[in-house]
Amino acid sequence: MDDSAVRKLTLGHLWVAFIAFILACFMGEYQVLERSGFISALDSPTVYFASVSTHGVLMGFVLTTFFIMGFGYYVATTSLKTPIWNIKLAWYGFWISLAGTAMAAVPLLTGKASVLYTFYLPIQAHVAFYIGATLLVVGSWIWCVIMLVMFSQWKKSNPKKPVPLAMFATSANAMLWFWTSAGVALEVLFQAIPLALGWIDTVDPGLARTLFAWTLHPIVYFWLIPAYTAFYVFVPKQAGGYLFSDEVARAAFILLAVFGLPIGFHHLYMDPEQASGWKFLHGVGTFIVSLPTLVTGFTVIASLEIAGRLRGGKGLFGWIGTLPWTNPMVLSVILALLMLILGGFGGVVNASYAMNAMIHNTAWVPGHFHLIFAGTTVIMYFAIAYYIWPLLVKKPLFSDSMALIQLWTWFIGMSILTTPWHVLGLLGQPRRISSVVYNNLLTLAWKPYELAMIFGGLVLLGSACLFIYNLAKTQLNPAVAGFNDQIEYAEPFKPVQSLPEYLNDLKLWNYVIAVLMAISFGVPILQFFFMETFGSPAWGY
Amino acid sequence: MNQIDEDERGRILESSPIGTFALMAIVIGSMVIAWLFLYFGVFIPRGIIN
Repeated sequence: MDDSAVRKLTLGHLWVAFIAFILACFMGEYQVLERSGFISALDSPTVYFASVSTHGVLMGFVLTTFFIMGFGYYVATTSLKTPIWNIKLAWYGFWISLAGTAMAAVPLLTGKASVLYTFYLPIQAHVAFYIGATLLVVGSWIWCVIMLVMFSQWKKSNPKKPVPLAMFATSANAMLWFWTSAGVALEVLFQAIPLALGWIDTVDPGLARTLFAWTLHPIVYFWLIPAYTAFYVFVPKQAGGYLFSDEVARAAFILLAVFGLPIGFHHLYMDPEQASGWKFLHGVGTFIVSLPTLVTGFTVIASLEIAGRLRGGKGLFGWIGTLPWTNPMVLSVILALLMLILGGFGGVVNASYAMNAMIHNTAWVPGHFHLIFAGTTVIMYFAIAYYIWPLLVKKPLFSDSMALIQLWTWFIGMSILTTPWHVLGLLGQPRRISSVVYNNLLTLAWKPYELAMIFGGLVLLGSACLFIYNLAKTQLNPAVAGFNDQIEYAEPFKPVQSLPEYLNDLKLWNYVIAVLMAISFGVPILQFFFMETFGSPAWGY
Repeated sequence: MNQIDEDERGRILESSPIGTFALMAIVIGSMVIAWLFLYFGVFIPRGIIN
């Protein structure tokens, strides 16, 4: 099969993703420097908040969406062994998303969308930001349609056969993204854009925050599923072993998609617009969704254990040392799991209804989400890129050793950056501040932590530059004769011959999600239409 | 990479991942201890919110 069209499509998406990533890394380092107050020439709340907003949009929306789309197209065509359904439509999706990104960039960079990459009305951005973000999402919906069409076409042509795990996970993510993005889409279409255009004078912040909470947490699983996909479908093979269980992997993806959605109110624990009972319900759901992560941790580590023992490892933990630590994919998963443990612990604290009061809106929160997103998720994006880039450009990776140094420095930098962030949160430093202007003992005690964060950010920036350099050199290097590596998906050690339909299809899970969403969000949203609430005028740029 | 014979290979593939169980127990146990420390050692001593 000539795969040049899908390789071009994937490369286009990944380059947009990684250009967004490197720009955002420079902004991140500027932000820790500015916030520390060590360099007074940098002091500017206006520039700081514009930078934070742009950094968040680039990392959270542009890097992720383009990476997930590009990786998804490649997975679809290589796992199903079929060309992309309607590749012209896929390119339309790409250009719509890119146009949306460019449109949103203008108000972001000119300080007219300094809304901290959130949709927490009544803080309001320029309408171009909302329309740009909408276009980005519309482009990604095209990707969802293509993934689900390919999934269903393959099932029709291969009745009773298990859908390849990589495609099952990608399709589950497409389904999840449709559901996830609906909340913020409703908010933007019916509240944010009309408010920004002056069609309405006030907006109900409670309803807006509830709709954003619908999106805010499951979006994390949209970002994380490609990382988990690599855990299951690449890591075991790269480690020299087998996937511990294909069925368990499918169950984990289903659980993530189903229970990742109806739990967003743990972001609203301190908000007044929802009653405690609803918050408690979502809090319980948040603990339930830790289950697929534990299952994933178990399955991936068990797969690594098989590989380590097949490589001669003995004893309870002797297999760890025999793993191929110099393989970027294997190293990445080990570092990703370490960060997932620490970040996961932070998440459990966030989700604890009472203790949330201690860290709510403190520096702990960005520390947590950097560890989970920029740590666990992004390091697996690196691993995927190192693995598929040579396959996309048909040339060997420029430098394996540079890749290993880059992965280690990313892990070390992220540890140095996020540990003080968590500590600062416990010491009471608020998040979303551009400077610390008070000179009392409490805030002076924060300074050493700020210094450590600057250093951690520098390490991360250096690591990010190495990553981009390695990819660019790989692509620009002359072709190597005889290079013909092919993608290799991990095999379960007990091959799957057939599967029950609930582990091989998504229809049933759509109904389950619909019921759970109706239970968890039905009354909390409808209440705004049946009780007296008070609108707020916009404020912002 | 060490070479292993087919019997050994089969034994490894059929055996329980005891190292994984042990690691998961350590991780989950550590998280529970850390959570309890944070709850009783940091959160509760701070008292009620004023």
